[in-house]
Amino acid sequence: MSGRGKSPSQVHHQPVRERQGVTKAQIILVAGTTVVAAFLLIVLNSTQLRQAGGGAFSYPIGITQSGHPYKGPPEAPLKMELYSDFLCGHCAEFASVLEAISTDYIQKGKLQLIFHNFAFLTPESVQAAQASLCALDQGPAYFWRYHDLLYTSRAGGMAAYSNVRLKAYAQELGMDTEAFNRCLDTHAKAGQVQADLYAGIQAGVEGTPTWFLNGQKHVGFMSEDKLRNLLDSMLSQ
Amino acid sequence: MNTYSRTSSVVPASPVVAWRWWLMIALSLAGIGVAGYLSYTHLFELPVICGASQGCDLVAQSVYAKMFGIPVAVFGLLAYIALLVLLVARRRVSENLEAYVTLGVFGISLLGVLFSAYLTYLEIFVILAVCMWCVASAIIMSVLFVLSILEMKSVTL
Repeated sequence: MSGRGKSPSQVHHQPVRERQGVTKAQIILVAGTTVVAAFLLIVLNSTQLRQAGGGAFSYPIGITQSGHPYKGPPEAPLKMELYSDFLCGHCAEFASVLEAISTDYIQKGKLQLIFHNFAFLTPESVQAAQASLCALDQGPAYFWRYHDLLYTSRAGGMAAYSNVRLKAYAQELGMDTEAFNRCLDTHAKAGQVQADLYAGIQAGVEGTPTWFLNGQKHVGFMSEDKLRNLLDSMLSQ
Repeated sequence: MNTYSRTSSVVPASPVVAWRWWLMIALSLAGIGVAGYLSYTHLFELPVICGASQGCDLVAQSVYAKMFGIPVAVFGLLAYIALLVLLVARRRVSENLEAYVTLGVFGISLLGVLFSAYLTYLEIFVILAVCMWCVASAIIMSVLFVLSILEMKSVTL
């Protein structure tokens, strides 16, 4: 920074020559560094998000032989078959309870969660269910991220499940949007969503969320504490 | 050329400069308000008051609302606080430091503008929802950046 950093008292034998300030080169250096830093951060962030979309989970995830997505190892002592509608409020709350217990039960191999669409509330439910299966086509990791995003977007109201938005979520998660949009637009999953609904009715599901824990039927939301107690009591049996 | 006749001395000589400084202080405070509100709703998982449109929650709950696990609103809040601190400090530091403090204001607001542009692009083209708080922050940051360029003129050799 040459002699410009000197205080006026040190140079006051020659005050007229000493201007305080920054040079153009310093400004260009700061601006250039900032632009490069911003660019790197944005690129890093985008790639990280892209990887997160289909990236690794800390527990096994996959698709059952019947075509339903699961999390947690298939050999887990507890198996939960969950029937849910993406537009159902209690389902969203229950999904966040399941997320909260996942570290202690799913990650530790005690619980396997199997998801079944039970799209019965509104036409948007059916759309969202189809979209979730289109996401599943790109891998179970995408399904679970998409599932989480659908539930957290409920605050946006019905508009959050419009065709445009359903596609936007896929794009946000870094999916192959062309394949996803084609799947959604052609209603490729309409049959499966319908079949899942009938299968649920056959199994005795009348509303959502309904879940079968090792075959035992439970209807509705359960608080985190109660669910932990239930799981623990079943594990100790 | 006399050092002490410049407009950006410790006590601004020109009323325009003083006026600009107060405006930047006010904008940083407004930015702290907006980014603070968004950080608060994000950290406590509260819905965002958004007027007629429902874009705010869609934006706030999108995967892009976080960067490296931290809400982007928090980064914005930190930037506005840093700007406020530098602006206040500018009046209190010696004249030879003042230029570098002004350069800091320029650098941070440039970074802020670049990020705001990126986030606005995401809102319009990827998330497909626009939140008025985010737009407000982008405008505040842009005005701060323009004012900081004007400030830079008076401390450039």
